Amino acid sequence: MVEKAPSKPKAGDSKDASAASSEPVPMEIVKTPEELKAESDAQLLADIKQNIHFLDRAVATLEGRFTTRALRATASIRKRLNPDILAQALNVHFTEETPRKQSLLEKIGKTSSAMDVDAPAPESGKEAKTFLPEHDIYLSYLVLLYLHDQKQNDKGMSLAKELVQAVQTINRRTLDQLAGRIYFYYARFYELADKLTEARPVLLAAQRTATLRHDDDTQATILNLLLRSYLHFNLYEQADKLVSKAAFPEDASNNQMARHMYYLGRIKAMQLDYTVSHRHLLQAIRKGPTSPASAGFQQAVNKLAIIVQLLMGEIPDRAVFRQPILRKSLLPYLQITQAVRVGDLAKFQETLGQHAATFRADKTYTLILRLRHNVIKTGVRMISLAYSRISLKDICLKLQLDSEEDAEHIVAKSIRDGVIDASIDHERGFMKSRETKDLYSTAEPQAAFNQRIAFCLNLHNESVRALRFPREAGTKDLENAAERLEEERKLAKEIVDGDLEDDDMGEECPRLVGPNILLLEADFWISGEQQNGI
Amino acid sequence: MTTGPLKEAFALYDQLKKEFTSPKADIAKCGQYLAKLKIYLTELSFLLPGERAASAEELLLAREVLETGAQWSIRAKDIPSFERYIFQLKTYYNDYNATLPPSARMYPLLGLNLLRLLAQNNISEFHTELELIDPDLLNDNVYIRHPIQIEQCLMEGSYNKVWHSRANVPAEEYAFFVDILVGTIRDEIASCSEKAYDSLPLPDAATLLYFKSEAEVVAFANERGWKINQKDKKVYFRETDLDATDIPADQVIHQTLEYARELERIV
Repeated sequence: MVEKAPSKPKAGDSKDASAASSEPVPMEIVKTPEELKAESDAQLLADIKQNIHFLDRAVATLEGRFTTRALRATASIRKRLNPDILAQALNVHFTEETPRKQSLLEKIGKTSSAMDVDAPAPESGKEAKTFLPEHDIYLSYLVLLYLHDQKQNDKGMSLAKELVQAVQTINRRTLDQLAGRIYFYYARFYELADKLTEARPVLLAAQRTATLRHDDDTQATILNLLLRSYLHFNLYEQADKLVSKAAFPEDASNNQMARHMYYLGRIKAMQLDYTVSHRHLLQAIRKGPTSPASAGFQQAVNKLAIIVQLLMGEIPDRAVFRQPILRKSLLPYLQITQAVRVGDLAKFQETLGQHAATFRADKTYTLILRLRHNVIKTGVRMISLAYSRISLKDICLKLQLDSEEDAEHIVAKSIRDGVIDASIDHERGFMKSRETKDLYSTAEPQAAFNQRIAFCLNLHNESVRALRFPREAGTKDLENAAERLEEERKLAKEIVDGDLEDDDMGEECPRLVGPNILLLEADFWISGEQQNGI
Repeated sequence: MTTGPLKEAFALYDQLKKEFTSPKADIAKCGQYLAKLKIYLTELSFLLPGERAASAEELLLAREVLETGAQWSIRAKDIPSFERYIFQLKTYYNDYNATLPPSARMYPLLGLNLLRLLAQNNISEFHTELELIDPDLLNDNVYIRHPIQIEQCLMEGSYNKVWHSRANVPAEEYAFFVDILVGTIRDEIASCSEKAYDSLPLPDAATLLYFKSEAEVVAFANERGWKINQKDKKVYFRETDLDATDIPADQVIHQTLEYARELERIV
């Protein structure tokens, strides 16, 4: 999915996907700026109309992917929005005069009556269909985006409040994806106003409702928002409890998944569970968007990942620091890494002092403080690799420790923590490195092999589940196809009781997926039972 | 305006303060006062914020009582009670910090709490708590710095320094936890020794584990299941490795069946 991240965890979300290329650029005739503007305006209106049309189809067919498409296209619309266009769009698409329309027009500084004149007449005459709540929310969402980009926080906040109330009262599955976005900006406006704590009760309540409604998108979004709000105030305990109690929906979009992984990584890093943390962060890096627009997110994740890797006693790849979008922001981290790599305590302290402010802003300062003993550990490891036998006194001198007793304890601890494979001879006062065992005589390769096979099989299964079959494939029996599709959809709906429609793969092809899911589920239970049996 | 119950609570708190600060404080009596005070506090929108917001005066009183309670718990050597007081106090320190004047006892108590977590070897919670403290204070505040230094030494393995840190605690209450900490360190050293040494002479084990006599070592060794050879006066940690040659048949069968099933599904 190329859908752009709604925002990055760190600041800088005002810059968005560079999607301006979709604007038509006339080459031959040089047009006046006015003409160009009129053209791009018309194009913009057409784009909005197209999106409204997508929403119509989503409602008609109960397929979430049309909403996804509309939201994806919104990224490029967002950059081009201006009050005039918004007012026109509102006038065209709001077929009824509702209080919302008035309030939206007010928010963008236009009055309803004045704009009626400007609105292109033919368009409004053509649109004779019913006005859906999706239209209402979508257009409001556009206004919300506009207010956000214009930094009109007060107006945005009041509009967001209104919209949250609206989506809470309307219980429609086709609204789910939009609702997720609305909540996102609701929290964002509160954060900009530094009132994040006030938004928390609303979000918690909404999270429960979303879970009950199997509204995966909203659920994922809100869970991330809550985590962000907790982590903003360093409330790791609460965040950890939330994560352990609330399940993150598996079908959430990649972007939400990536953010969730990042938050999990941060919590786990705080709790010294570096291996798990690193796994989460890796996933966040892989699943996260890689476009330059999301540089903020990538930087934040990579910073944390580097520190966690160092804390695990590993040295991050040099290539990480070379990536163009990351290079500049990772520079302080590169210096820290270099200090840890050579085990130079003095250089480490110097770098730490030099970049303290940066690290504090990144919220990695306390983690980096923990690195101190890793510098020592690296030193011990170097020694253990270089010498097969060395006296404790020499270790003490090499690492500049205070006493031999300290050295003995430190080495003992390194052995216990698995940093080195050695033993201490206390009576004669030396450390003896154990000879490296033949790894292939252990079960280690088998375990690694098994892990990879499991990964491949899982990948295969996931791909099968995500398969999408084009409708055209069934042109031969076209009459039957439509009928059968309808039938299958009903069936699938009955089976899962409304669960399928916001299920990311279920909605695409009920014909294939309906029974398949059941099959997989059955298999899952069988394997589960077998595991329990053993 | 000071209303009835609030007035009484204040009076009672004054009594408690007098008793608690007197050189020969009666711990049991203070406990009684505290229990009574807590009952008063519940009437004053202490646990459950009612219709009206609690006044700054009430909040202040509640905080004072809880702080005294926490200190009292240390003197009474009642750690669970200390934990409870700290949890209640955290609301006052974190959520009401805008409305209340900062407390002089806040950092000593937070530092104590950090030390408690260390003493219980609860390092992950220790770091979680640390995140809530202003990073500028980590190095400047003597009460916070002490547990942080201890933690660093613990992580490095310089147990010697922790041992000697008992001499320079920032407040008398700290000594209580540092003493408990010694037990934690001993466990740490023991678990390190099991891995690092094949055997240790008894007198050396005593110095390593900070025991005064060999008899103590013997008792400790029995507790951890170490073997002591009385003849050559040595502690043996390691059994000869026997488990390495086992073939994990169960696991292999399970995995192979799993592959077969998955492959069948693909074909």
